[in-house]
Amino acid sequence: MTAAIALRGIVKHYRMGDEDVPALKGIDLDVPAGAFVAVRGPSGSGKSTLLNVCGLIDSFDAGSYLLAGEDVGGLDETARTLIRRQKIGFVFQSYNLVPVMSVRDNVEYPLLLGQMAPAERRARVDEILGQVGLAGLAGRRPDQLSGGQRQRVAIARALVKSPTLVIADEPTANLDTATAQQVVDLMKALGARHGATFLIATHDERMTEHCDEVRALTDGVLA
Amino acid sequence: MNAWLLAWRNVLRNRRRSLVTILIATVGCAAVLIASGFALYTYAALRDGAAKEFGNVTVGAPGYFDRDEETPMQFGMADYRALTARLMRDKRVRRVLPRVALSGLISNGDKSVIFMGLGADVAAEAEVRGPFLEIKEGSTRPIAGHEDLPRVLLGTDLAKSLDAHSGTGLTLLGTTTSGGINAIDVMVVGIVSTGWRDIDKRLVYTDVPTAQRLLMSDRISTLSIYLGSVDATPAAFAQLSAADPAHSYKPWWEQSFYYHSVRAIYNRIFGLLGLIIATLVFFSVANTLSMAVVERTREIGTLRALGALPQEIVAQFVREGALIGVVGAAAGTLLALFVVLALPHAGFEMPPPPGRSVGYPLLVNFSLPLYLAVDAGIVALCAVAAWFASRKASRRSIVEALAHV
Ligand SMILES: Nc1ncnc2c1ncn2[C@@H]1O[C@H](COP(=O)(O)OP(=O)(O)OP(=O)(O)O)[C@@H](O)[C@H]1O
Ligand SMILES: [Mg+2]
Repeated sequence: MTAAIALRGIVKHYRMGDEDVPALKGIDLDVPAGAFVAVRGPSGSGKSTLLNVCGLIDSFDAGSYLLAGEDVGGLDETARTLIRRQKIGFVFQSYNLVPVMSVRDNVEYPLLLGQMAPAERRARVDEILGQVGLAGLAGRRPDQLSGGQRQRVAIARALVKSPTLVIADEPTANLDTATAQQVVDLMKALGARHGATFLIATHDERMTEHCDEVRALTDGVLA
Repeated sequence: MNAWLLAWRNVLRNRRRSLVTILIATVGCAAVLIASGFALYTYAALRDGAAKEFGNVTVGAPGYFDRDEETPMQFGMADYRALTARLMRDKRVRRVLPRVALSGLISNGDKSVIFMGLGADVAAEAEVRGPFLEIKEGSTRPIAGHEDLPRVLLGTDLAKSLDAHSGTGLTLLGTTTSGGINAIDVMVVGIVSTGWRDIDKRLVYTDVPTAQRLLMSDRISTLSIYLGSVDATPAAFAQLSAADPAHSYKPWWEQSFYYHSVRAIYNRIFGLLGLIIATLVFFSVANTLSMAVVERTREIGTLRALGALPQEIVAQFVREGALIGVVGAAAGTLLALFVVLALPHAGFEMPPPPGRSVGYPLLVNFSLPLYLAVDAGIVALCAVAAWFASRKASRRSIVEALAHV
């Protein structure tokens, strides 16, 4: 089976004026399809940078990246956008829901970008809202929800298009322990159900217990 | 979710700011509509005035319109009666009025003044010219007991300068077609005003036979053809002039220098006004949406991460700009229509334009093509402003946008 993510020698620098900040120093990483993998490391170790590269929202300077077997290294921004649209979901630390959209509209948005028939769209949204336990709150606006509920909307939004990969950068950092636990459990369960690979960045020890694999990142180097 | 509903909700996100922007679009739209409507009204009024003053079409002998006469009536028409009869057979022609242009001196015995006269069917002229030839004193009819004396009507300022009133006897002095000097005694029966001070200072109206007697000629200068409506002029002019190559035909718009100069000035003034308003609306909408774009930077980054293309982000803002434009244009149109309907009841007067002695009512015309064009223009302007405001942010680095607080 092809790996969902196959990174070889990924190097990424940030340039701050004349200064050159190395953020990733030759990352090799294989994430099997359907796996639930966490990247752990101290602040500034490069977790977000790595996830941004994997999520195709940032570029890298050297190395190769195969996403589900497809070389995505040399693609232009439009091609990367279309791959994100089809294959990659995102869960953010601060939910990033669109405040003027209802729960349903937020979850439906990724499907509107694709060309899906309205009936199927509706069915998919209903299904995923049921799976995250928000069927009854579909008409609410994000500001009428708790943090945990919002993150569940975000999870539904990430999974509704049945992506290959879900990128979750510190998805529980804004949540209390109990809620964080529920959110992790939900991601894991739904990831398995939808066949999505999860790549999560965290420095939360409790989260990593549930992962198939935990990789430690220090100063841009994976252990 | 419907993209337009989403756009509307985004417009309402900052109500006060959007309201101010919509208000600017509203006022801008109304201002352009009212100003253009006023220009249209003015053009129509000038058009009517010119068509009444010169006749819809003027006929002269060949050369009359192109060259200056060296002696009076050098380019006069002798065959005008037959031509009049022929023209009157055309269904569209209401009246054909002869005119004799004359000039010379007019004297009350103590004082002589230069006059520019017109020998014409005075009663008919007063009728067709309506408010453009106002009889201020007396009438066109002879004064009882003096039916045998040739009659004249004087311009108001000329009458004042000669201290003449109806019943005053005066003498006209003019050059005849053969170069001699001729004089005839006339009686003032009325005092008229064209509203043009420069004309009223020199104007003498008399009948055709009197004018011909002064010039010692059996010719007239021109025939003025009056049609049922101004709009009928172009077609009638084309046909009449094509049918009669022996005479020279001129439509009113080639005669009225004033119409063209006012139009040129107004087009420039109102064009500039429109440009200023358009700039104002553009930058107001661009500014509002630029603020919205900055505030929604993280949202833009999120939607981009989820797979929206830059042009899809821009399209969303363009829809918001267009909605602001639609609401602004709709409100502006209502405001302008209200002004169009209310002004005739308000009875505002414009002061006399340069060179004129009378003002005119302040009115604003409605024109469907104008309204459609201005409304579409406002909406397009707002949409372009939104494009302008969002195109950069839509291509910005997603990671940076997501990190924006
Ligand atoms: N836009 C940027 N410009 C310059 N340097 C950056 C930029 N973003 C990150 N860095 C640097 O790159 C390194 C990795 O940062 P990154 O955000 O990936 O760390 P992280 O592990 O996600 O940290 P945290 O746990 O605090 O989120 C850090 O040294 C950081 O200062
Ligand atoms: Mg980070």
